[in-house]
Amino acid sequence: MEPTRKQGILSSPHQENDTVHINKEQKAFFTQQSKMTTLPPLPMTRPKLTALARQKLPCSPRTKPRSELIKEKDDIDHYLEVNFKGLSKEEVAAYRNSYTKNVCVEMLRDGYHKSFTEFFALTEKWDALREAARVRSLSWAQRPLEEQPDKLDHFYYYLTRAETAERKEYFEEVYNNLYALACYFNNSEDKWVRNHFYERCFKIAQVIKIDGGKKEAEAHGHMGLLFEEDGQLLEAAEHYEAFHQLTQGRIWKDETGRVLNLLACESLLRTYRLLSDKMLENKEYKQAIRILIKACEIAKEGNDKKMEGEASYYLGLAHLAAGEYETALAVLNTYGKISADLDDDLSLGRAYEATAKVLQSQGQMAEAVKYLKKVVKIAKNNFQNLDFVRASTMLGDIYNEKGHYSKASEYFQQAFNTTADIMNISLKDETKVHYGIAKAHQMMLTVNSCIESADLTSLDYLLSWKESRSDITPDPTSGESRRSTMESLYHTSEFSEEESSGFSGNQKK
Amino acid sequence: MNVIYPLAVPKGRRLCCEVCDAPAERVCGACTVTYYCGVVHQRADWGSIHEKICQLLIPLRTSMPFYNSEEERQHGLQQLQQRQKHLIELCYTVAQKYIFEGKHEDAVPAALHSLRFRMNVHGLSSVELVPAYLLLAEASLENLPNPEIKSTSSALQAISCIVGGFFTAEPPGLGRVVQAEEYLSQAQWTVLKSTECSYAIHSLLHRNLGLLYMAKENYEEARYHLANDIYFASCAFGTEHIRASGGYFHLANIFNGLKKLDLADTLYTKVSEIWNKYLNDHYQVLSQARIQQIDLLGKRFETDTGLDEAQEAEAIQLLTSILNIRESTSNKAPQKTIFVLKILFMLYFLMMNSSKAKEYALRALHLAKKQKLSVQEQNTIQDLLNLISVEEAQPIT
Repeated sequence: MEPTRKQGILSSPHQENDTVHINKEQKAFFTQQSKMTTLPPLPMTRPKLTALARQKLPCSPRTKPRSELIKEKDDIDHYLEVNFKGLSKEEVAAYRNSYTKNVCVEMLRDGYHKSFTEFFALTEKWDALREAARVRSLSWAQRPLEEQPDKLDHFYYYLTRAETAERKEYFEEVYNNLYALACYFNNSEDKWVRNHFYERCFKIAQVIKIDGGKKEAEAHGHMGLLFEEDGQLLEAAEHYEAFHQLTQGRIWKDETGRVLNLLACESLLRTYRLLSDKMLENKEYKQAIRILIKACEIAKEGNDKKMEGEASYYLGLAHLAAGEYETALAVLNTYGKISADLDDDLSLGRAYEATAKVLQSQGQMAEAVKYLKKVVKIAKNNFQNLDFVRASTMLGDIYNEKGHYSKASEYFQQAFNTTADIMNISLKDETKVHYGIAKAHQMMLTVNSCIESADLTSLDYLLSWKESRSDITPDPTSGESRRSTMESLYHTSEFSEEESSGFSGNQKK
Repeated sequence: MNVIYPLAVPKGRRLCCEVCDAPAERVCGACTVTYYCGVVHQRADWGSIHEKICQLLIPLRTSMPFYNSEEERQHGLQQLQQRQKHLIELCYTVAQKYIFEGKHEDAVPAALHSLRFRMNVHGLSSVELVPAYLLLAEASLENLPNPEIKSTSSALQAISCIVGGFFTAEPPGLGRVVQAEEYLSQAQWTVLKSTECSYAIHSLLHRNLGLLYMAKENYEEARYHLANDIYFASCAFGTEHIRASGGYFHLANIFNGLKKLDLADTLYTKVSEIWNKYLNDHYQVLSQARIQQIDLLGKRFETDTGLDEAQEAEAIQLLTSILNIRESTSNKAPQKTIFVLKILFMLYFLMMNSSKAKEYALRALHLAKKQKLSVQEQNTIQDLLNLISVEEAQPIT
C-alpha cells in the first residue's frame, strides 16, 4: 500500500486526499473483517517475505552457494513460524500425529521421562485390555484412549507435577498428585488405572514421614479397599489393620470430613464380617468367632455404639451357627441393650429376632414366642414389612409345630397379607404355601372328627363341603375359617385371583 | 592408477569422478571401470571402500554379456540385482564400522556407495534410502574439520539431483552441519512421503535430527526431536530397551548444558539403569551357566554381550561420558559413580576385555574405600575383582 500512497503525494494534493480516504476505508474494512472472522489478521509486512523469496528464484541474477540458501531457508522458516500462527512445526505435528504421541513427546521434551514411562506402560496396557475385551465379546463399550483427550490431559498434568515434586523430594506433593489421578479414574471401567495409582500412592506414602503417618494410613486404607474389591479379604484385612493402627488415637479427617479412625473401624469390621461369613460357609466356626471377637474389641475401642452393636450381632449369629447357644444369647442380649440405649427400634427388632432363633434352636418355644411377638410389634410400628413377614412366619412355624393350627394359620395369614404389599413374588409364594399348609392342618382336624364321629350330620357336612369345595366349611372347633383352602392348594391360580378381596374381608372381620 | 585415454573408453560410459562427480582424469587400474578426478580422491576411495569392492564393481559397470535365451537374460538380471543388494549391505556395514571407530572421513565414500546402489535398486523415493542418508548425516555431524570430505559429499548432490555445487569454500564446521541438514532433510522427506516406515527408522531419523539441532545450538528443536526419538524407540522396542537409551542420553546432555542439573541427573540415572538391567541380565545368565558346568569340563565360556559392534561402541561412549559427569560431581553422590563403574565393568567383562574391566573394578573399590561406603558394597566389588583374576589365571585356549 505504501507505493500508492507515495504516488499520491507526488501527483497532487487532491488525489492524495482521496487515497488517504480510501486507505482509511480499507483499514476500517480490514478491522471489521478481522473482528468478524476468527482467521488471524493478514500481516501487513508481507513484501518482506516476497523479497526474501524473490532472491531465491532461479532467474535471479545472483548465484549463491547452496549452504547460504539453506541458511536463509531457516530465516524464512523462522519468519513463517513467527508471523503465521498455525504453521509452526509443533502445530503441524499436533495435527499430523495422534494425541497420545503428542502427550508423550510433550512430556519427554521437558525431561519428564518417568511420567513418560508410566504413561506409555498405561496406554499399552489399556490397548491390551481393549484388545482382550474385543476378542471376548463383540459388543463392548470402552472407547479407545485416543478418543478421550481429557483423560490424557489429566495424565499429563498430574504425572508431570508429581515428577517435578519427586525431583524436589516433596513426597507429599507427589502423593497428592497421584491420589488426584486415582480419584479421577474412580469409575467402574477404569478401575485398574485407579488401582495402579493407589499402589503408587502406597509406595510413596511409606516415604512420607513429616505428617506422622497420615498419608501412610490413607494409603493403607486405599490398598485395603483395592484388595477387598478384588476379593482378597486376608490381604485387605491386613491393610485395614495397619490403617486402623496408624489412625488410633488421632483426630485426622479425610477431605469429606469423616474421621479416619472411624472409617478404619468400619472398613475393618466389614472385612472381618465378610471373612467370617466365608469361614462360616466352610464350617470353620472357631476361626470365625475369633475374628468376630476381634472385631467386637475394635468396635469397642472405636467408641461407636452402633458399630459395637453390629459386631456383637454378627458374633451372636456366629455363635448360633456354631451351636453355642448360651454365649450367643449373652452376646445378643448386649446387642439388644445397646439398641435399646440408642432407641434404635430396627436393631432392637433384629436383636429380638436373633434371640428368638437361638431360643428356638434351644427348644425354649415359649420364650421364643415372647420375643417374636415383640418383633412383630416393633416391625408393625415401624412399617418394616419384611421383618414383619419373617417374624410372623417364624411364629406360625412354631405354632404349627406345637399343633396350634388355628393360631399358626392366623400368623401365616398375617404374613401373607403383608407380602401382598411387597413386590416380592418368591416370598409371596413361600408364605402362600405356608399359609396353605397351616389351613390344611387346621381343616384336617374338622374332617377327621367328622369322619370319626360317623353320624349323619357329619356326613352331610362332608358331602356339602365336597360338593361346593369353595364354600364355607362349618367348623365347630374354631369356626373362623370361612373358606376352603384345600382347594387353593390344587388351584393356586384361581386362588390368587380371588385372594385379595377374600382376605381383605377376613381381615376386616 | 592410470591416466585415461577418453577415446579408448567404451561408448556411453560416464567419465566422472567416483567421489566428487567432477570430470575424471584417472582410472583404477584394477577394475578399469572406476574413474577419479585426481590422486587424492582415488586414495580416499581406495582406503575407504574401493579396495574391498573393486572387483565386484566390474560386472555392474560393464554391459551385460549377450545371452541367447530370454531365460538366461532374466537370470543374468537377477544376478545383477543380487550383486547390488550384496554391495549395499557391504558398503553400509563398512561405513558403519568406520563411524564407530571414529574415522568419519573414511566412512563417507562407503556410505555414498551404499546410497548409490540403493538408488539403483529401490528408486529415488524409497524408504530404503533413509539408513544411508542417516549414516551420511552422522558422518558429517562429527565435528572433525576435514575439508576433503566436504568435496567428496558433493558427489551425492549430483546423484540425488540437487542442483548446484558444493565446491565453494565455507567454514568447515558450519559447512558440515549444513551438509548434514541436507541429508537429514532428504531422509525426512522420504520418510514423510512413505506410508510404511518402521518405528526404528523414525527413531533413528529423529535422533540424528536432534543431534543436528544440538550442533546448531537450537535446543528447543533438538529437544523436540529427541523426544520423538525416545517415543518411537519405545514404540519399537519398549521404554526400557537399550535402543531408547541414546535419546535419553542426548536429552540429558542438553539439560546439562542448560544447567538444569537435577533433570539431567535423573535422565543420566535412567540411561545407566537401562544399561545396568541389560548387562546384568547377560551377566547373570553367564554366571549361571558357569556355576552349572564348570565342574564338569572346566572349560571356558564364550562371553557375549549380545550386542553388535555399533551398540558396543555406543555403550562405551555413553557410559564413559556419564562416568565423567558423575566423577565431576562425585563428592555428592559416590554411589552413582560406583554404579556406573560397575556397569562399565560388566560391559568390558562381557566384551572379554578383562584388563579394562579390572581397571574399572579397581577404581570402584578405591572410591568405595575412600568414601567409606558400607562393607557390603565393598564386598560386592571385591567379588567382581576376584572373578576377573580367576578369569585371568585361566590360560586362554
